[in-house]
Amino acid sequence: MNTKREIVRTQDVKKTYVMGDETVHALSGISLTIDAGEYISIMGPSGSGKSTFFNMVGGLDKPTSGEVYIDEVDIAQLDTYELAWLRCRKIGYIFQTFNLIPVMTALENVTLPMVFAGTDPDEAREKGANLLSLVSLGERLNHKPAQMSGGQQQRVAIARSLANDPAIILADEPTGNLDLKTGRDVIELLTKLKEERGVTIITATHDMKMLDVSDRVVWITDGKISKIQHRDEIDIQVGTINGMEEA
Amino acid sequence: MNHANKRIFDDSSADARRVVLPWRRTIQMCIANVRHRFGRSTLTFICIAVVVAFFASSMSYQFIIDKAMKSDDVHIQAVLEKAGVFTHDKQSLEKQKDQQIWLMTLSAILCLVGITNTILMSVTERFREIGTLKCLGALNEFVVRLFLIESAFIGVIASIIGGLLGCLLAALQVGAAFEFSLLGGTTFLQSFTASLPKAVGLGTVLTLLASLYPTYIASRMKPVDAMRVEV
Repeated sequence: MNTKREIVRTQDVKKTYVMGDETVHALSGISLTIDAGEYISIMGPSGSGKSTFFNMVGGLDKPTSGEVYIDEVDIAQLDTYELAWLRCRKIGYIFQTFNLIPVMTALENVTLPMVFAGTDPDEAREKGANLLSLVSLGERLNHKPAQMSGGQQQRVAIARSLANDPAIILADEPTGNLDLKTGRDVIELLTKLKEERGVTIITATHDMKMLDVSDRVVWITDGKISKIQHRDEIDIQVGTINGMEEA
Repeated sequence: MNHANKRIFDDSSADARRVVLPWRRTIQMCIANVRHRFGRSTLTFICIAVVVAFFASSMSYQFIIDKAMKSDDVHIQAVLEKAGVFTHDKQSLEKQKDQQIWLMTLSAILCLVGITNTILMSVTERFREIGTLKCLGALNEFVVRLFLIESAFIGVIASIIGGLLGCLLAALQVGAAFEFSLLGGTTFLQSFTASLPKAVGLGTVLTLLASLYPTYIASRMKPVDAMRVEV
C-alpha cells in the first residue's frame, strides 16, 4: 500500500433532478479522489446530496454531468451487463437495514454474489464458510436471518459484501440500526478488513464513532464538499464538530 | 484516454464478464420463496384454486352428462328421462352453454385482476430484496425469471388442487341431480382425465398472465431501492 493507487475518482460531478417545474441541484460539482485501501466517511445533513454522491461513487446512479471513474472505468460508458458485473465483482454493498434475503440461510446469502459471478458451487460454499468464520459466525452457516440478532445479520452482510473480493466496500449507515456496542464491533470489523485485506471502505454515516477510524471524512453541504478532514485533524474535534452534528 | 480506462474489462474474457444465474439455482430460490411465503401467497392461491375448481366442475359435469346421453344402458336412459334431460329443446341447451361460457370468461377476468393485485402487493413489499439482488449483480432478466417461475409454481399447485376439488364437486352434483350410477364404469375416472389437464393448464396460464405486469414492475426496480429505509 506504499504506492497510492486511485480507486474512485469523480470529476466535477453534477446531478440535477427535475421535480415538476423546479430543477433541484442535488450535486453541484464534486471532485474527489479516493485511494485504494482508504477508509472514507461521507458526512452531511439529510438533503445535502450526501446520498446522491454516495450512490454515484457506488455505481448505483449516473451523474447528469461530470465523470465518475471506478477502478479507472468511466461508469457512464458501461452498459447494463457491465454495470451488473461491476456491482457483482468490484463493489460490496452493506446496508443500514442489513438486507439479507430472508428465505436464505447465512451461507446461501454469502454465496449468492458468487452464484452471479459464476463461481463453482463447491468452491463458493467453501469460500462462504471461510468468510463467515472471518466474521466469527462460522457455526451459524445454516441459520436464517430471522434467527439472528441485528449485529449478527450485519456481520453476515459484511461477509456477503466480500464474496467476490471486491475492491470497494460501500456501506450505507452500517451502524444505523445497531446499538452502541454492536455498532462498535461492526466498525472494528470493517477496520480490520481494511487493514488486512486492503479493501477500500466508503461509508455514508451519521455515526460519530466512525470518525475515529476514518482516514478521511468528507463533509458535504448543499451539494458541495464543504471540507475534508484527515484523521489526525479529527481526533481533537470529536464531540465539538461545529454545528454539523445534527441529524 | 477512455480507451485506456476500459482496461479492467479487457483482461477478463468476455465470458467471465457476464453475470449468471444457473437454472438449478433459480428453481431452488423459487421453491424456497414459495415455501417460506406460503402465508403471503395464500390469497393468490385460493383465488386460483376457486376459479380452476369452477372450470373443472363445469367441464367435468358436462362431460359426464354428454357421456350418459350417448350411453345405451337402459337404466341410465331412464334416469335421464326422469330428470327431463331429453325434454329440453336444442335452443335452450345452446343458450345454457353460452351462459356458461360467459360466466367462465367473467370469472377468469375477475381472477386475473385479483391475482395481479395480490402479486403486485407482494412485489412492492419486496422492493428492498429486489434492490439488494440488483446490488449483488442481478440483471433485470434474473428478476423476471425468478418471479415468473415462482408464479408458475403457485399457479400449478393451486390449479391441481382446485381442479381435483372441481371434479369431485361435479361428481357430487351429478349424484345429487341424477344418480351416482351415471358415474359407473370408467366414467368417474374419465371425467378427471378429460377435464383436469385443461383446467390446470388454464389456471397456470391465467396465473402467468396475471403475474406479467407485477414482474415487469419488479424487474424495473433499481439497485438504489435497497438503500430505502422507509417501509
